[in-house]
Amino acid sequence: MHPATPPTTNAPAGRNHRTALPRRRLLRGLLAVTVAAPLMFGAAACGDDDGGGAADPNAPVKLSIFWWGGDARAKLTEDALALYTKKHPNVTFEKTWQANQGYFDKLATLTAGGNPPDLFQIDDNYLAEYAARNTTLDLTSYQKSGKLDTSKFPESLRQYGVVDGKLAGLAAGENTQGLVYNKTLLTKNNLPEPTTGMSWEEHIAWAEQVTAKTKVPGTQDPSADYKAFWVWLRQQGKDLYKGSELGFTAEDVTRWFDLWKGARDRKATPTADVIHEGNSSDITKQLVVTGKSATSWVWANQMPDLKKNTKDELGVVAYPGDPSAQWARASMYWSVFKGSKNKDVAVDVINFLNNDQEAVKLLGTDRGLPSNQDLRRVVSDDTTDPAMKQSIAVEAELTQKFGKSPQVPIKGHSKVRSELIKAAENAQYGRATTAQAATQFIEACKSAIA
Amino acid sequence: MPKFPAGNFGTDPTRGEELFVALTTAPDPTRRGPGSVRAHTERRGPGRFRHSEGLAGYVFLSPWLIGLMGVTAVPMLLSLYLSFTNYDILTPFSEVQWVGLANYERMFTADPSYWHAVRVTLTFALIAVPLKLAAALGVALLLNRAWRGVGVFRGLFYLPSLLGGSVALAIVWVNMFNRDGAFNSLLSLFGIQGKPWVNDPDWALETLMVLAIWQFGAPMVIFLAGLKQVPTELYEAASVDGAGRFRQFRNVTLPMLSPVIFFNLVLETINGFQGFTAAFVLSNGTGGPVDSTLMYTLNLYITGFTELDMGYASAMAWVFLLAIAVITAIFFSTGRFWVHYSDGEDR
Repeated sequence: MHPATPPTTNAPAGRNHRTALPRRRLLRGLLAVTVAAPLMFGAAACGDDDGGGAADPNAPVKLSIFWWGGDARAKLTEDALALYTKKHPNVTFEKTWQANQGYFDKLATLTAGGNPPDLFQIDDNYLAEYAARNTTLDLTSYQKSGKLDTSKFPESLRQYGVVDGKLAGLAAGENTQGLVYNKTLLTKNNLPEPTTGMSWEEHIAWAEQVTAKTKVPGTQDPSADYKAFWVWLRQQGKDLYKGSELGFTAEDVTRWFDLWKGARDRKATPTADVIHEGNSSDITKQLVVTGKSATSWVWANQMPDLKKNTKDELGVVAYPGDPSAQWARASMYWSVFKGSKNKDVAVDVINFLNNDQEAVKLLGTDRGLPSNQDLRRVVSDDTTDPAMKQSIAVEAELTQKFGKSPQVPIKGHSKVRSELIKAAENAQYGRATTAQAATQFIEACKSAIA
Repeated sequence: MPKFPAGNFGTDPTRGEELFVALTTAPDPTRRGPGSVRAHTERRGPGRFRHSEGLAGYVFLSPWLIGLMGVTAVPMLLSLYLSFTNYDILTPFSEVQWVGLANYERMFTADPSYWHAVRVTLTFALIAVPLKLAAALGVALLLNRAWRGVGVFRGLFYLPSLLGGSVALAIVWVNMFNRDGAFNSLLSLFGIQGKPWVNDPDWALETLMVLAIWQFGAPMVIFLAGLKQVPTELYEAASVDGAGRFRQFRNVTLPMLSPVIFFNLVLETINGFQGFTAAFVLSNGTGGPVDSTLMYTLNLYITGFTELDMGYASAMAWVFLLAIAVITAIFFSTGRFWVHYSDGEDR
């Protein structure tokens, strides 16, 4: 009945793996309730016994693992985990996965219920939230002892999962912002393709020309998109965050909104309601695949998934402006639950997924370019998927130009993202001036990160 | 329908039935509750069985009782406690900090989006509930006639409510009412330029209202049952006295139907305030565009599960529960001025 739970038709058999334990806990809870309600607190609080690794390395271990993604990712991940079980027959997995929407609601609920997975996928949105609340295991000691080998990682990725001096998650892959465009549409109309290094002004002028010639709006308006705003800020010498503060002012936001108001007035972008559709995080609703705009602002590793949703050829370049504002970003992380009874095994699995040649080859670039640079080369050479090849090519090109990685987003980041959407849409629908929307955004951010 | 600990009454059909019986008939203490078990035993058997049968009654009741305690009452009380804390879901209960009335203070003084959600919810309920009841009553009046094939129409009109809070229906709605949806194609046949209804902040909530109104089947069936109970002698007497159709409706049908109207009004108001699924699906769980569909329960859900501010969300749930209780109490206190219970007057 949970509204955020996606259809379960594709669910693997292991999906309902956790029924036995909660039922027992529920019974215990109910007993406690009938005797005396306050005992309930005790029953809930003592759910997670702290425990280190098993003394016997061959004792059977069942490790629970949770990730978001589509069918393709599920298949690849399951294959890689099966390979681990083959090499370590005592370790089996309880696998749970679902679509991105609702994933973090469920992860939070599992954690609250004292039932979090041993190993889970997480991203910038929530890494700081979980780390700040001591939910994630600090992986630093494993990194030092070499049990978690990051020696082949680029420096930026190694740093990226660090929150308050603790390694809260290990980068599962590397990606960067990618401007994806409809190649078929442009070729058919004899229009030039966008290029890396175009200025924002040039991009908008190009989009205006596309609209005029094809009747398809040239570019999605990214004013609600935090990653586009972020790149633009870095080109202005600012940043999204500075320490525990915002790295920008209301004036910056106004200028950003004005830039796109100008673009809308010139018909370089779609109308507000279509922009709103494209502001969804859902890949299938990106305007470049629904045919409602010639470009969309996404992450480079999303190319294969986007390609699956359209017949047209797609291309990908960096966001406009100086590409050194972009950075090698951890697309997502693997984190270990701090109270896990199988910490050592969980860490070993992360190490395996990142550094074992066979496993990395199985996983491909689905979670971004492999973090291990030696294996990245192997995967790049072996990949046959054309969309994966394109995203590898653009990232390989950008690697030379990448700037320094910004700090990991702070607590409250997900609220900042949703407030940016709200403010930008207020301006797009004409319900507020750009300056009003900017002020409103700053106010909302301040209370979100307080 | 999502079941929030505070305020899920009114969504349980069996309890609705009890309420219906209680509201539309004269009070009869022997009808309901554990008392009825005793009433039976008194009539039937020797006294020594009375105690054990009463016990048996409670034993048979226990699955429900334990369920009520464990699944509703305890979580509700827990959420009352949490509403005075900074509980954020991820922190264990043992480390939760007591913050006194801070959550309630924030709600009333420092959270504009909370009041925005209150406004959205009130707008929704004030418009959608009366229109839905009017539609239900109107169709029930039509279907109360002895037309050929009327049974089929009753079924057809009831159908949308069977699909009720379904996610699939909300998805269909989104596709019907977007820029290139079926509704705009229909309008274009008449040369009318449609709007991107669900993606337009000025129209998204109205689209949700239409969806709610369209699902008038449940109150319609109840109205229909109520109409069947109006004695035909009254209409005959009225027409002998020279009353026309409209006067008959005003002076016979409405008063006789008033307990049913009252029942539907109470239930539908509560349901209206709790609207969640359609708003969640339509806005991808964000309450957008620009918060135009940010219903109270959706705001609560986002606060608790997305922003992890569960202590604050619990406080919202309790204020919501109290608000619904107050509104229901107001209905009950005004009820005696316009609700006529025929049983009571006859005696």
